[in-house]
Amino acid sequence: MRQRSLIAITAALAAGALTLTACGSRDDNGGGSDSGNGDTTVVIGVDAPLTGDLSALGLGIKNSVDLATKIANKEKYVEGVTFKIEALDDQGQASVGQQNATKLVANKDVLGVVGPLNSSVGEAMQKVFDTAKLVEVSPANTNPALTQGVNWQTKKERPYKSYFRTATTDAIQGPFAAQYVFNEAKKKKVFVIDDKKTYGAGLAATFTAEFKELGGQVVGTEHINPESKDFSAVATKVKNSGADVVYYGGEYPQAGPLSKQIKEAGAKIPLVGGDGIYSADFIKLSGAAGAGDLATSVGAPVEALPSAKEFVANYKAEGYKEAYEAYGGYSYDSAWAIIEAVKKVVEDNDGKLPDDARAKVVDAMQNVSFDGVTGKVSFDEFGDATNKQLTVYTVKGGDWATVKSGTFTG
Amino acid sequence: MSGIGPVEPDGDTRPLEPPPTTPRPAHAPRPRLSHRQRAAAATAFVAVAVLVTGTLLHLTRPRPEPPPEPRFPSQTTSFRYLYMQVRGAGTTSPEIEFTIQALTESDAPVTVLDISQPYAGLSLTSTPATPLRVKGGASRKITVTVRVAECGKVPRNAGLPFLDVTLRNTRAKEAHSYILGARYARDLSTALEVACGYEKR
Repeated sequence: MRQRSLIAITAALAAGALTLTACGSRDDNGGGSDSGNGDTTVVIGVDAPLTGDLSALGLGIKNSVDLATKIANKEKYVEGVTFKIEALDDQGQASVGQQNATKLVANKDVLGVVGPLNSSVGEAMQKVFDTAKLVEVSPANTNPALTQGVNWQTKKERPYKSYFRTATTDAIQGPFAAQYVFNEAKKKKVFVIDDKKTYGAGLAATFTAEFKELGGQVVGTEHINPESKDFSAVATKVKNSGADVVYYGGEYPQAGPLSKQIKEAGAKIPLVGGDGIYSADFIKLSGAAGAGDLATSVGAPVEALPSAKEFVANYKAEGYKEAYEAYGGYSYDSAWAIIEAVKKVVEDNDGKLPDDARAKVVDAMQNVSFDGVTGKVSFDEFGDATNKQLTVYTVKGGDWATVKSGTFTG
Repeated sequence: MSGIGPVEPDGDTRPLEPPPTTPRPAHAPRPRLSHRQRAAAATAFVAVAVLVTGTLLHLTRPRPEPPPEPRFPSQTTSFRYLYMQVRGAGTTSPEIEFTIQALTESDAPVTVLDISQPYAGLSLTSTPATPLRVKGGASRKITVTVRVAECGKVPRNAGLPFLDVTLRNTRAKEAHSYILGARYARDLSTALEVACGYEKR
């Protein structure tokens, strides 16, 4: 009996020691609760296509912003503030995006918005946010006019002070693709197709201009209806044009079937697109014939950035059903830029949010600078990301493989 | 034997009596341990507890974070375009010479293994010649000399010409394109016009 008692006491002590050490180990990792730490709730709005064809990208954006707020709350990054998100679905439609902007403005707890995905939607939201002095950071809009004005090619002029983005613009992405296609892929005759939308048409235009300057020939151009999935007529035109490459300005729901139908028409030539086609869903939709197709996308490959490893691990640990996709890292950085701006505003106001917090956050955003998932995050005088990296990917073995990365340092 | 050994029992070393086979009556007093037995048990208990706790604390002690992996060289190195000139304009072998500045972040030295560009009609050399080292947190000017081999293969007005650079640091060897911007593009176009304009005459 005595021996049993001793064993029991030792076991209890050991269990106690285990508990103590386990507690200690949790504390060492930051501890805290995901439920937040303060009395003030700050909402970060999210606008993206959460349903429909583009939802793979949109849900990656939403989840990544959610992750940023959870990390900020867990780390108690802004003393006295708990972050939450309010995610609205714009369905990739400009009119819906504008309604969402009005809804987010009406919620006084919203001090910043991440989104949208589409440049056309961003265009429709900018004025609503700017009038309300509510900061908007897009992880994905690439049309140059959004930050540099409609005459950006001749005279850059920032249209809205409250608009920022972490993605590189098509003023760089289009020429970057043209340089690669002409000089390195050695393609000289291109057939250019776009979906007539702000993003697609803009990107196709910047690609075409540079391709011509390099000495390339544009052997045909076409516009497609994004509502359609039957591109057989365009595919036949591509086949008959003698093009050795197709450039498509648009997004993957159309680009995938377009690539497939071009190959089925007998033109065994690669389709090249921008960040709008850089999605796992493009590979599914284009099928086996899509092998060798190319896409440029903003930033360096996330997997190549040590700064992104923690993001990837945390994203996985949260158990989100959807992949973070092309804009996950940029969405996290967009949200974190807002968190940094809120932190600055709170700290400058004795630990509390001022009455004009929205306007103050817009001002603070201009000077935000931190090491993010995608590298150094800061903004230039137009609200564009100062980190301007691009990467060429190709479809290989059923996945996107990195071909070449470039950095704009001009 | 000298020194400190295990504490041995003195005195009563007889084997313990086997436990009683009949149940102890309720409320009957428990058999009492001798003082020596209690002291030995307590010593053993404390020793085991200390050993267990110590082992657990050792196993779960906070360990220093491993040093972060160095970043890829393209993430720590940038190139700035400074200026350009045409040398030997009006001769049969004009050369375009431009100067760039390589900049590295602190504690991230890098070796520039190669500098090239993708246009078929041009070839490059640099001074200092590659491979060249740039210390961490430093900058180094590099003069690039462009020879025009075939004007027909040279883009006259490229908007964003690349400069392809191969870099190496302790993490990786990496080929990366640097797009030096609109001023570089304009100056290069002007210089190529001068160089190739002579050839066409």
